[in-house]
Amino acid sequence: MVRFKHRYLLCELVSDDPRCRLSLDDRVLGGLVRDTISRVHGTFGAAACSIGLAVRYLNAYTGIVLLRCRKEFYQLVWSALPFITYLENKGHRYPCFFNTLHVGGTIRTCQKFLIQYNRRQLLILLQNCTDEGEREAIQKSVTRSCLLEEESGEEELSDSGGEEAEAME
Amino acid sequence: MPAPATTYERVVYRNPSEHHYMKVCLEFQDHGVGLNAAQFKQLLISALKDLFGEVDAALPLDVLTYEEKTLSAILRICSSGLVKLWSSLTLLGSYKGKKCAFRVIQVSPFLLALSGNSRELVLD
Repeated sequence: MVRFKHRYLLCELVSDDPRCRLSLDDRVLGGLVRDTISRVHGTFGAAACSIGLAVRYLNAYTGIVLLRCRKEFYQLVWSALPFITYLENKGHRYPCFFNTLHVGGTIRTCQKFLIQYNRRQLLILLQNCTDEGEREAIQKSVTRSCLLEEESGEEELSDSGGEEAEAME
Repeated sequence: MPAPATTYERVVYRNPSEHHYMKVCLEFQDHGVGLNAAQFKQLLISALKDLFGEVDAALPLDVLTYEEKTLSAILRICSSGLVKLWSSLTLLGSYKGKKCAFRVIQVSPFLLALSGNSRELVLD
């Protein structure tokens, strides 16, 4: 009834350089987001967003980042993300940009979206891949994910009532 | 003969005006500091940028009149940015290391209202 509501921004880090994703660190990223908000929205924006700002999930291989912020100020954070143009690590600058995939009220909704998104990305990769060995590996992952989808589909139907109530906030 | 019934028409404007006009005066702690119009506008924009960032430093702000001797000016800002401009003027403390303060004399959505100020009226 009385609690702090958050918004979770699911973003993807897109970059030409493959070393950029591997040098992702949650503290470095948190500092970078705070600096950018301070530059774009001033001291007011920096103070308003920094209370609830946290990096909740980070995947260095796919470049997926989950940021948490308070519901009242999530638009300030969201609008500051396109102004991030480079990632700096140990003196090396990698140009990159953040692509926001999904905004959710809970981590669970973002996870559901991420699972569906990854399935679609696997199919796209399957179409684009050139090497035979890669093709087999991707086909195996696709079939495995389809089997998992059938299993979890039956479970989800029973849970979905409770989850939807949580996700509505 | 009874007077004819008076008919009148009442016009109510619901739409708030797009711009707000502010009459402000800049005061320095020590005298002898002068600013020209460009430096004055630069000061306003840097105040906005400190508090609200680059996005709000780009608000359409105009300095309509500026007097260098008294350091007073009339500013025009779009109505959505009035609160931001006023709060950033309040929190501005110094210009090039010298302490200063903005005094807001009058604020109105109509420019004509700034021509007469009943507070400065002198009664004989």
